[in-house]
Amino acid sequence: MKLLTLLFAVLLLSACYEDTDVTFHEAGIYKGSEDKHAISAEERADVLEQRFKRVQTDR
Amino acid sequence: MARMKFLCDDERCIECNACVTACKNEHEVPWGINRRRVVTIDDGIPSEKSISVACMHCSDAPCAAVCPVDCFYTTENGVVLHDKDICIGCGYCFYACPFGAPQYPQEGAFGARGKMDKCTFCAGGPEEDNSALEVEKYGRNRLAEGKLPLCAEMCSTKALLAGDGDIVADLFRSRVVRRGGRSDNWGWETAYKD
Repeated sequence: MKLLTLLFAVLLLSACYEDTDVTFHEAGIYKGSEDKHAISAEERADVLEQRFKRVQTDR
Repeated sequence: MARMKFLCDDERCIECNACVTACKNEHEVPWGINRRRVVTIDDGIPSEKSISVACMHCSDAPCAAVCPVDCFYTTENGVVLHDKDICIGCGYCFYACPFGAPQYPQEGAFGARGKMDKCTFCAGGPEEDNSALEVEKYGRNRLAEGKLPLCAEMCSTKALLAGDGDIVADLFRSRVVRRGGRSDNWGWETAYKD
């Protein structure tokens, strides 16, 4: 009975687990996720320039 | 390196609000949140002008300067984005922004202020490009698909321009030369230092 109560208590308390992995702030430093892209900024700039010329120039 | 900028040509804007609708539809922005809006000055009198306003992705972004948790970052293309996992929804950025860009969805039963939401220049956020998580939190990432912001691409009069600042400025300059009058690239002096 004691073992059963202990098991029940462990299961009950494990449901209350809370992630304590917090991000500590440092002034002026961005600590969010890194924004990765499939292509480099230069390649992207070329693609977007072509897109601008195709879509947004005056008719 | 390209430096992304918005420019609204007030001589061309007809206050149709297609940019607002396009933005809301593309990113499934919830009710009450407007990442972009059209402001009309001198409504009903001959000097009436309309301007489409959203986050201008400033050079020295005041929102980033006042953020107490530093959730903002600027991409290599000059787009100012933020991480919603870090944002605490304090509202400081709203007071700092000269364009009124930051928006806050109501959360919970008592309408508490949620995480800040703003125009992303259709560049999503720090999550994996066009992942379900990124789309849910920040909307679609059109830049990753080689496309420009939908608000500008949808603009029927081409009043709203979005792209590399140099190319946008060249196009606007050629318009001003052609039609004459004064060059008024609204918001640029406030937003851009480079």
